[in-house]
This record gives sequence, structure tokens and C-alpha cells, in this order.
Amino acid sequence: MSESSQKFDQELHSLLVVMANEGIHNAAKGMSDMVGESLSVDQPLVKRVPIREIPNLLGGPEAEAVGIYLRVEGQIGGQMMLVVPYAKALELVDLMMNVPVGTTQNLGAIERSALQEMGNLTGSFFLNAVAATTGLNARPSPPAVMVDMIGAIIDIILATSDNLSETVLMLQAKFLRNGREAEVDFWIIPDRNTIENMVKGE
Amino acid sequence: MDNIITVGLGEYAVSKDPLDILVAYGLGSCVGIGMYDQKIRLAGLLHALLPVHPLGSADENSRYVDTGIQLLIEEMIKKGADHSRLVVRMAGGANMLVAPGFTGSFNIGTRNVETAYTTLNKLKLTLAGKEVGGTQGRTVKFYVKDGRMTIRSIGNQEREV
Repeated sequence: MSESSQKFDQELHSLLVVMANEGIHNAAKGMSDMVGESLSVDQPLVKRVPIREIPNLLGGPEAEAVGIYLRVEGQIGGQMMLVVPYAKALELVDLMMNVPVGTTQNLGAIERSALQEMGNLTGSFFLNAVAATTGLNARPSPPAVMVDMIGAIIDIILATSDNLSETVLMLQAKFLRNGREAEVDFWIIPDRNTIENMVKGE
Repeated sequence: MDNIITVGLGEYAVSKDPLDILVAYGLGSCVGIGMYDQKIRLAGLLHALLPVHPLGSADENSRYVDTGIQLLIEEMIKKGADHSRLVVRMAGGANMLVAPGFTGSFNIGTRNVETAYTTLNKLKLTLAGKEVGGTQGRTVKFYVKDGRMTIRSIGNQEREV
């Protein structure tokens, strides 16, 4: 590992732990507004995960999952992905639409749009927290929802990320509403020049 | 009993054990390229991520379609295969992101497939079968005993290419 990527590891990691907390709480607040009811969030876990390990962490590369993908553009650039195993995504839709667990049986246009909205909110609120912490502004692209094998979903991140990022940052967050919970994994993959700017403190 | 050999992202595997099945799971924009020498029943499968190896980069050759194909051929020949006998099959190269605003720079699947065509063409190898493109991920199985390639995707039956 090169010196610069080590530096990136340490500094960006501590920066992201701060921003993750702020960002996820912000996102929960945004979602509360959306569903019109208080939604809380657990302290997110922040880990660095080797890219190749991602599929195994989510039930293997063939497991069906839902990925909500956003590009980040602006003073900072990168990619964000929310990944939820398929069954959990159905529960997440139940939770967001405030219907009993098991109501959502498949992901049609409305359900996908709810997930998209969730990606949108999470992305925006997360980036707001990043801006508040670093002064760097960025906005998310409209989110794309993919429902497929986890390996195939992850290809997007792998193929478009720089080789520098052999590990990615994962934020694991749990959203809670009326005693129900839904766990969501966020993957954050900053572009190479963003990493350099952040570490330099620009 | 069958023996599954997982070919991970940016990796390749070569085998002549007839019980082995070389498998690349969940290919999205990645491509799986299988080569088979019927005479000596030697099979090789590549799981490449990106189209063209950047000049001067120290990345493994097997990560890229162009250098990965070359590498796979070299390995096959080292193990006794004859270039003229190689039968090639390919699967993958889907474009996973079809939402508006994500076209253009995201068509890695298409670029992977095109690079494979060009590289194979240069090496005078033709494709005996393929299933490429689309918007769905695929798992590819390559059977060492007979060189068959099968594909599975979510919501569809396993099929042969």
C-alpha cells in the first residue's frame, strides 16, 4: 500500500466516522419528515472492507439484493451505494410505507420509487453533513435502483472506482420505527482526487 | 462428485480435472470468458472486470479483458493446449445502470464485450457461443469434462450458451 493511500486510510476514516454519525442522523431526520413520523437511527458502524469481500458479507455473490446507487458530483466526487438483501428491502419498504411486515411482496414501480426516494434523502442528508464538516459541497445524482445478484450490483462500484480504493468504507446503519428496524449498508467510494483534497484539507 | 472452483473477480482458473466446474458468480458488467481444448479436455475461465489494461499499470493482467485473455491462452498452452483447438465461449457484460443520467461513462459492460471481440479477433479465435449485454447479472458455469457453459440469472432458468 502506498504512503498516500495509507494516509487516506487513517485520515479519511476518522473524518468519515464523524461525518457518518452526523450524516446518518441527518438522513433519519429527513426520512422522518418523509414518512411523517419519527424514525430513529442507531449509531452507525464504520468499517473498511476489502472490495473483494463485499459479496461474501452480503450472503454471497449470487444472493439477490437491492442496490440504490448515486454518483456524487461537486467539490467532492464519488459514489454511494445503499445495499440491502432482497428480503430486507421488502421490509424496508414496509417500514417506510408504514404497513405491517410482510405486506410488500415484490418491488414494483411504487416500491422502487420509495427506495429511490430513500436513496435520495440519505444521499442528500449525508452530503449535507459532509459539507458542514468539511466545507466541501456536493450533490447526489438521481438514484438508480438495481435488483439483482449482489455480485452484479457491486460490479458497478468495482468497475468505476479507482484502483487506489482496494478497500471501501462501509457504514452500517439501522433505522428504527415503532420498534421495527431495518438494517442498511452504505458504501462510500470517494474518487481519487476527492481523497487527495480531503486529506490535504482543501 | 462435482467440484466447484470459484473464479473470483479479476481472476482466472485452468483445470483438466473432469470433475471440476469453474464458476464465476454474479457477473454484472464483468465478463466470463471460457476456453476449451476438446482433445485434452483442458478448460480455462477468466473473470475480467475492465476492458483495457492501462499502459504501465502494475495491476494484475487477469483483471482486464485484453490482457486477461492473453494470460489465459498462455496458461492453457503451458498446460498442453493447442491454440488452433481452442473453443471460446463468453457471458456477461451487462449494463447494470439503465437509469437516466447513467449512460455513457457507465457502459462498461458493452466496452468489456467489445474489447473481448477485438482481442479474440486479433488472436484468430472465434466465439462458439455467447450471452452478453442486457441489464441482468449472470452466474457462469464452465464444465471441464465437456466444455459446456451454462448461465443462470435471477428469475430465469439455467441455460446453455
